Amino acid sequence: MRNEIELEAIIEDYLNGKLTAEERVAFEQLRSNDPVVDHKVVAHKVFLESMAQYAQVVKLREQMDAAHSQIDVATLAESLRPHPSKLVKLWRNNRSAVAIAASFILLAMVSLYSIQSNNKQAGTFEAMSKDMAKIRSTQNTLIRDIKTRQANSSNNNNNNARFGGTGFAISGNGYIVTNYHVVRGADSVYVQNSNGSYKAKSFYSDPVNDIAILKISDKRFESLPALPYTMKRGSSGIGESVFTLGFPKDDIVLGDGYVSSRNGINGDTLAYQVAIPVNPGNSGGPLLDNSGNVVGIINGKENKTDGATFAVKSKYIMEALNAIPQDSLSRKVSYGKKSSLRGLKRNKQVQKMQDYVFMIKVYNNN
Amino acid sequence: MSIKFSSDIPTDREVVLGILNNSVEALNKLYLAYFPMVLQFILNNSGDEDDAKDVYQEAIIVLYNKVRSGNFELSSKLKTYIYSVSRRIWLKKLTQQSKKTNNIADFEDVLAVDDNVELHEEKDMQFDKMKVALDSLGEPCKTIIQDFYIHNHSMQEICEKFGYTNTDNAKTQKYKCLQRLKKLFFQS
Repeated sequence: MRNEIELEAIIEDYLNGKLTAEERVAFEQLRSNDPVVDHKVVAHKVFLESMAQYAQVVKLREQMDAAHSQIDVATLAESLRPHPSKLVKLWRNNRSAVAIAASFILLAMVSLYSIQSNNKQAGTFEAMSKDMAKIRSTQNTLIRDIKTRQANSSNNNNNNARFGGTGFAISGNGYIVTNYHVVRGADSVYVQNSNGSYKAKSFYSDPVNDIAILKISDKRFESLPALPYTMKRGSSGIGESVFTLGFPKDDIVLGDGYVSSRNGINGDTLAYQVAIPVNPGNSGGPLLDNSGNVVGIINGKENKTDGATFAVKSKYIMEALNAIPQDSLSRKVSYGKKSSLRGLKRNKQVQKMQDYVFMIKVYNNN
Repeated sequence: MSIKFSSDIPTDREVVLGILNNSVEALNKLYLAYFPMVLQFILNNSGDEDDAKDVYQEAIIVLYNKVRSGNFELSSKLKTYIYSVSRRIWLKKLTQQSKKTNNIADFEDVLAVDDNVELHEEKDMQFDKMKVALDSLGEPCKTIIQDFYIHNHSMQEICEKFGYTNTDNAKTQKYKCLQRLKKLFFQS
């Protein structure tokens, strides 16, 4: 018994490398001579290894349990549990795939958009609109919203929307041309020049070309002397200097510029594009060249580009005029003749023609 | 609470060095870093929190054995390795419980870790054998053996703890216990 305990102790020391060199040699001698001892050594070796492994795992588990107790498992589990909604599950499981797909779509849209905007005029033309909110927010239509004034409230006691534009005489006896969008839906129209304010009524309208002709119906109106300007017969070329008169405010305002394109927005052949700064209220104003020929009528601008104003070509004004019975027009605007403004300086030209340019005030009662 | 895997994720190198140095702190960090990942996987594949704990701890033991055996090459992210091992272990458990194992909802990339897991299973059997043997040993033998072999107490300490009159008596007692344990261990 005692011997066995001794032997076991020696085997253990041997396996743990605790024997001295001498003892070691002696023991190995014994081991090779005695198969029973050798078997015990092998068995004990396996046992010790298993024990060490066991000890290691036990320790590791203890440490992990300590770490585990730091985790708020219940809360964590709640947030990670499969979501009842399939959509959320799908999102959680395929988060990266969805993200990649989304970025591809975004990229495609951005590149498509940039290609489109390279090829096309990005701006939009909205001069036809008479909706007040739109006018206020985009300011791209050139009808002016006149502020309510006490002076006018005798004519019109309610606070309905009022719009303003510009128009110009095409005959001495009170025919005035302006834009259709200025007077569209109007209940009453007043025109005003430096001599006074007159009631007018719509006489002819051409929505396609955005042209309207008004007739002054007021008895106080006295006929105007012969018109200083004429209508231009041909079309104007790019670069031709032009100017306009209009009423973006209560006084007449001169705008100066040049024809920048033969066509209007998106290739609209009815109109010119001109580089003239215009503001709401300029709609319907005459566009004249240096010689005093009317080349067009201002009707809108592009809301994205500065200085891209559009004007209906004079040719379409003449078409409108031809629709009026010729004998009702006295001293009508001449066509293709020499204008009396020719050769004058700009300030003289303006002085001569400002009585023929009217502010147009539109009242809506509905 | 958003699904994030702890703000304090240790680097893979840090973890491997920590394992080799038996660093408790490294184990702590490692444990906290990837538990949510495994928990999410188990919860989404018909398991509960306790399953997650068991599987995760086993996976870490696999990692420890692998690193300590010296042939651990960091060919992938540690996160992927732990995920793959946990996944393999859980799938095996599901099969054993004869639950269906198709339609597994995955959350990470998966590595082939079958060899590692099989090796682990062998060791796990050894562990269970030792555990069963120790449990059936009875007191005071179990405590004496554990104190000597696991907690590395000296015979002198054991002698005092159990009130033996001298270390020879203690040694004799330990010898008897050891013989019985060996018998239980090798026979089972």
